[in-house]
Amino acid sequence: MPEFLEIDDLSVTFTGQGREVQAVRNVSLKVRERESYGLVGESGSGKSTILRAICGLAPMSGGAIRIGGVPVPTPRGRAFSAQVQMVFQDPYASLHPRHTIDRTLSEPLAIHGLRGSDDRVIRALKDVGLPANFRFRYPHQLSGGQRQRVAIARALMLKPKIMLLDEPTSALDASVQAEVLNLLTSLRDEHGLTFLMVSHDLAVIDHMCDRILVMQNGAAVEELSREDLAAARMKTEYARSLFEASADRFMEQGLQG
Amino acid sequence: MTTLTAWLTDPNPKSRRQARLGQAWLAWLRLRRNPPAVSGALIVLVLLALAAFAPLFATHDPFVQNLSQRLLPPGTPGHWLGTDDFGRDIWSRIVYGARITLYIVTLVVVTAPVLGLLIGTIAGYFGGWVDLVLMRLTDIFLAFPRLILALALVAVLGPGIINAVLAIALTAWPPYARVARAETLTVRTSDYIAAVRLQGAGAGRIIWGHVVPMCLPSVIIRVTLDMAGVILIAAGLGFLGLGVQPPLPEWGLMIASGRKFLFEQWWVATMPGLAIFTVSLGFNLLGDGLRDVLDPRSESR
Amino acid sequence: MSLLAVENLRVTFMTETGPVEAVRGASFSLGRERLGIVGESGSGKTMTGRAVLRLIRPPGRIEADRMEFDGIDLIRASERKMRALRGPRIAMVMQDPKYSLNPVMKVGAQMTEGLRRRDRLGRAEARTKAVAALEAVQIRDPDRVMEAYPHELSGGMGQRVMIAMMLIPGPDLLIADEPTSALDVTVQAEVLSILDDLVRQRGMGLIFISHDLRLVARFCDRVLVMYRGRIVEELAAKDLLAAKHPYTKGLLNCLPRIGGPRGLLPGLDRSGEWARA
Repeated sequence: MPEFLEIDDLSVTFTGQGREVQAVRNVSLKVRERESYGLVGESGSGKSTILRAICGLAPMSGGAIRIGGVPVPTPRGRAFSAQVQMVFQDPYASLHPRHTIDRTLSEPLAIHGLRGSDDRVIRALKDVGLPANFRFRYPHQLSGGQRQRVAIARALMLKPKIMLLDEPTSALDASVQAEVLNLLTSLRDEHGLTFLMVSHDLAVIDHMCDRILVMQNGAAVEELSREDLAAARMKTEYARSLFEASADRFMEQGLQG
Repeated sequence: MTTLTAWLTDPNPKSRRQARLGQAWLAWLRLRRNPPAVSGALIVLVLLALAAFAPLFATHDPFVQNLSQRLLPPGTPGHWLGTDDFGRDIWSRIVYGARITLYIVTLVVVTAPVLGLLIGTIAGYFGGWVDLVLMRLTDIFLAFPRLILALALVAVLGPGIINAVLAIALTAWPPYARVARAETLTVRTSDYIAAVRLQGAGAGRIIWGHVVPMCLPSVIIRVTLDMAGVILIAAGLGFLGLGVQPPLPEWGLMIASGRKFLFEQWWVATMPGLAIFTVSLGFNLLGDGLRDVLDPRSESR
Repeated sequence: MSLLAVENLRVTFMTETGPVEAVRGASFSLGRERLGIVGESGSGKTMTGRAVLRLIRPPGRIEADRMEFDGIDLIRASERKMRALRGPRIAMVMQDPKYSLNPVMKVGAQMTEGLRRRDRLGRAEARTKAVAALEAVQIRDPDRVMEAYPHELSGGMGQRVMIAMMLIPGPDLLIADEPTSALDVTVQAEVLSILDDLVRQRGMGLIFISHDLRLVARFCDRVLVMYRGRIVEELAAKDLLAAKHPYTKGLLNCLPRIGGPRGLLPGLDRSGEWARA
């Protein structure tokens, strides 16, 4: 299978108040079409910054990003947004508080001058398992899980090929997390999506992704396949410590040990 | 009535309009729980009614002079607020004066906040040198005392209602720009702006459709709180003879003409003064209440 | 003898749409042990913890048939008496140290403030105590931390400072509300083991409030599972995998596992009789 999303030697440097902070250092990764790739690490590891750099929301200071072999343009432009969309971590912050769900979902269509807005909004709601009569509600009338479904629906409005998922379930309750992960899984199969997913929760990443990149302090530490992770075959100390500290290991040790 | 309330509070509105009206209804319910704000709104409503139906409320023609009935005290039959030095009925003049006050207020409201909002959001959204230039311009305008700047402008443009409004608007926008910019800076980095940018939206669409709605509440609150100041400046310009020209019954002008007999015939200046006081108070109370209703931060609960 | 006894606790909020019951008749008792309270958001677990300290603002109301701490009636105690209890006898650690520490005050000043005001200790003595407390939570360079502002500390460090601060007066009961949820997993483990050691050494009672069943099971002796303001199940932590209540089972099953099956995760079935009660 061809490499679909390639990140080559990417560096991101933020400058502020005379100081330079290198959030991402020389990270390379390749995601194949219809593959799900996970980025895992603790806060400050630069995992979310990589997603933001892909979208042009964080300043690249070096390296290249290619989609289907073609370098992404700067500024990203409309063609890019029809190809790549993102779901953010906090569903309370990612929907405009003064826009109805209808407005939020029809906005991408309006930007791209697409027709048939009404039908597509209704269909999008149905796709993410929300009742059609939620259409004119405001975000504050929805629960966290429902908001995240709206955010996913919005990301799908432009029929992208690549979905960037930035901790899409970390703000949600366990049962709601399961529902949202299931929704993402079925949408991935249905629409043939490629996922690049960020999480601090190894179990979530393991459940969703085929390959995993462990990051620390802005640098790539180790790439693991799903099988390697399940069999605890990690080569670096850091990846192992993450694995050991993962909550679901807790239970095995605590209850069986 | 109950079906209307049910329609307004329907958790699943059927249309954009219903959703919007439902939100307005909720805002009204919140406002209703704040008695000072309701009294403020009432005062403003009374002002609106007086202006709209001035001929019905006025007992006399505000312009007709009757020198035989000069300076009658309040309580005189037929002139319950008394008459001025030309024998004109003060109540009728105040009622017609409400029109002028509202006219000025409305013109200022549709100019200064809009200008400030635009400059503030543009500066805040783009940042960098755009921000620098626009904000230093704002600072320059802010550095002048408002009334003095308005005076200078009127002196150049010549006296008159429109010029007075122009002068007030040109001096009133900087605070709105400041407020809007501050709000924009917090909104700019939010995920929902990142999301719409990621959908390929241009700066114009983002600022107008996504940033401005977030700045609007604080600007509206600021406008109602400033309304008192605007009325006072308009009155001040009138008082100095640089705004509205006689014989128009503008409140500030009326105070100015009453100044001469302030000690003997106190009502000539006091009555329009009370009108200015009441209306300013009304706008202030309303603004304070709107702060609770519109502030997005208070919506958490 | 039990340290804390709560019977039929109710927390009600008066809202525009009528009263909302956040806690609906919770009863439990606690000795010098580690009790976990688990539930999803809105289950009333936080409100239960705060109600014990009477830290619920109007329009919230606390009612209980009995709420006793070490022989003191918490329902009828005066506000003055409650203030004397909060801190010295019952301490609380909140979720995010960022919001619990005063951002414009040095850590050292915040830690010694209570000692100097309440216990009327001298500057040097208060400082010695604060440094000792920081050392107890395994902060290696307490002097540097004392001189730091909260924003200069990492999340884990901040939470350790919070724990140290709470433990200075030597409380009998510690209520920890999601103390590690804002922390990275590796830091989380450290903070938990520190907390664990302290509770064991000092023989304190601990109420550990969390949304994470697995964490609570690992860390506590007993677990209360809450759903919509009620305690639906109470069980020993080691029996968690043998939980009987469908809600507890559902919560456990819907979590993904490393190396677990791919497919769809089992959702939480809320159609049962229990979910409507």
